[in-house]
Amino acid sequence: MEQPVTVAIIEDHPVVTEGVASWIRSDPGQRVRLVQTARDLTELSAMPPAPVDVIILDLELSGELVTAQIPGLVAAGYRVVAFSGHSDPAIVMETLDNGAHAYVSKDEGRDHLVEAVLAAAADRPYVTRSQARAMLADQRPTRPALSQQERQALLLWFQGMSKASVGRRMSISENTVRQYISRARAKYAATGRTAPSKDALLARAIEDGVIKPAEIIPYQSFARTADGRPSEGAPGR
Amino acid sequence: MTTVQPTALMSGRYQRAFTIAVVFLVAGWHLAGAGGQLLHNRSAYGSFAFQCAMWLFMALAIAAGSVLVLRGTPGWRPAWTVAMIALAASTAAAAASPAGQMLAVNWAWGSAGWIGVLVLLHRRFAELAWFLAALALATFGVLVWNGLDRTDLAGFLAVLAWSTGAQVAVAAGVKALDVAAGHAAAAARSEDAARERAATAEIIRAARHARWLALQESAVPVVAELAAGTADPGDAQVRIRCAVQAARLRRLLAESDEVPGSLMHELHASADVAERRGVAVEIETAGPLPQVPGSARRVITDAAIAILTAARSQARITLATVAAGIAVSFVADTGTVVRLPAAGEGVAIEQQQDGGMLWAEARWNSL
Repeated sequence: MEQPVTVAIIEDHPVVTEGVASWIRSDPGQRVRLVQTARDLTELSAMPPAPVDVIILDLELSGELVTAQIPGLVAAGYRVVAFSGHSDPAIVMETLDNGAHAYVSKDEGRDHLVEAVLAAAADRPYVTRSQARAMLADQRPTRPALSQQERQALLLWFQGMSKASVGRRMSISENTVRQYISRARAKYAATGRTAPSKDALLARAIEDGVIKPAEIIPYQSFARTADGRPSEGAPGR
Repeated sequence: MTTVQPTALMSGRYQRAFTIAVVFLVAGWHLAGAGGQLLHNRSAYGSFAFQCAMWLFMALAIAAGSVLVLRGTPGWRPAWTVAMIALAASTAAAAASPAGQMLAVNWAWGSAGWIGVLVLLHRRFAELAWFLAALALATFGVLVWNGLDRTDLAGFLAVLAWSTGAQVAVAAGVKALDVAAGHAAAAARSEDAARERAATAEIIRAARHARWLALQESAVPVVAELAAGTADPGDAQVRIRCAVQAARLRRLLAESDEVPGSLMHELHASADVAERRGVAVEIETAGPLPQVPGSARRVITDAAIAILTAARSQARITLATVAAGIAVSFVADTGTVVRLPAAGEGVAIEQQQDGGMLWAEARWNSL
């Protein structure tokens, strides 16, 4: 039996903390163990250090967005899963760009939060529908180039189909659907600001065969040099 | 309703009015001013016939130039061709005039200048300046060739100041009016936009108020029953009621940050009906959505109504931008296959049944 993943919840509403704790408790495999709860980040830092694998972070604490605090948490070695009532694609993108492993909206919590925490602990990509939505809505010039298949899988997943249904729709296996969606997520981890969590996610994706190092090319691939390698920014950063 | 067109038309209409005014000015000058002077001095020219030929030549240039400018801003090639013809005719007419009297009997300089104003009016101001300078220089050249004296020079400067000055003044005036018309059009446009924004805000406010009132009747009782303990959260029926009310609350919150596209509004209206039946409806969009024409919207909302009517307890509607259009999808627990209305109006409809869940997508393509 594997050791359970340890989590801390940072959430300013006790009722939400309680709800998340109940989801964790009701996991049949008892794969996650709640070790700390804090109402904000200062409270967390004041606590005696505990071995926390993943932080479940409410993005809005006391009325303020704390997306900018994520890089600090990531640098301190935590893996962050954002859990938020917001579903604005811009906020989702900023959160992921700052190094959060996954974004779970409060609507998606019951079905996805525990799984997202487990995926984060293993540095594996986890894409909720709100993340898929943000990727589809992304219009920034710096966005990574997704293949048509990756886009289609993201679109059907966002639309609300199960991954098995997406597979039937695209005439591919459920596993390939996961592969496409994970690859899209990994491509995002390769863009924007650097963060150890993104590096870990990418390394794991390469190890798992989700993505090949050669596929991790920033969007501005027109800036290639003659030998076909990107001229700026090492791939797989 | 679109408001861009009338304002764009307005600025265009002003420009056209100025252009027509200049056409009349130039034609009038050539006919009355230059023509009058030509007839008055007919005995003074070495060859009256040649002068008349040049006059006709310029009249043709005016006709050609008028057609050009009335069709829109002419390109540099046709504009300068007409201008150079006028310059050549004017110089030839001046050269063929008797030496020593050239300025006194010259009818062509003024006309040539006005032709330049006509064809170069809507082009860069510098082009007209260069043309008028070249024209003056050519006339001065003929004067020097004939043997320049002091009186000639004074006369030349006087005519230059009078005629070129008038031409520059007219051109500058039209340019200024052009700019003013542009400003007026922009102001009208922003006023229209502001009015439209205010109207939209009012529609949103009214719709939100109506929903708030509806929530008073539907969500508040559920919460009250839960608080009083008369409704049991363990009861499936109560959970569905809660889910429906939660979906409506979510939508109420979401709508504040979304620009209301007509398609969104119509889908919301269709969802309202299903919600009254106890179906929890979720609506989400990904990215900025294109405008969909009314006929295509009708096909999409017809599909929405068919699916939402068949949904048992939950439905999810998503709108996403795809290559050259929009993909509106529906996932609902209809249980059985739903007969969807016919596709058409540029909308393609696909569906797939997976157990009790229906997935359908209406894709509208602008191409």
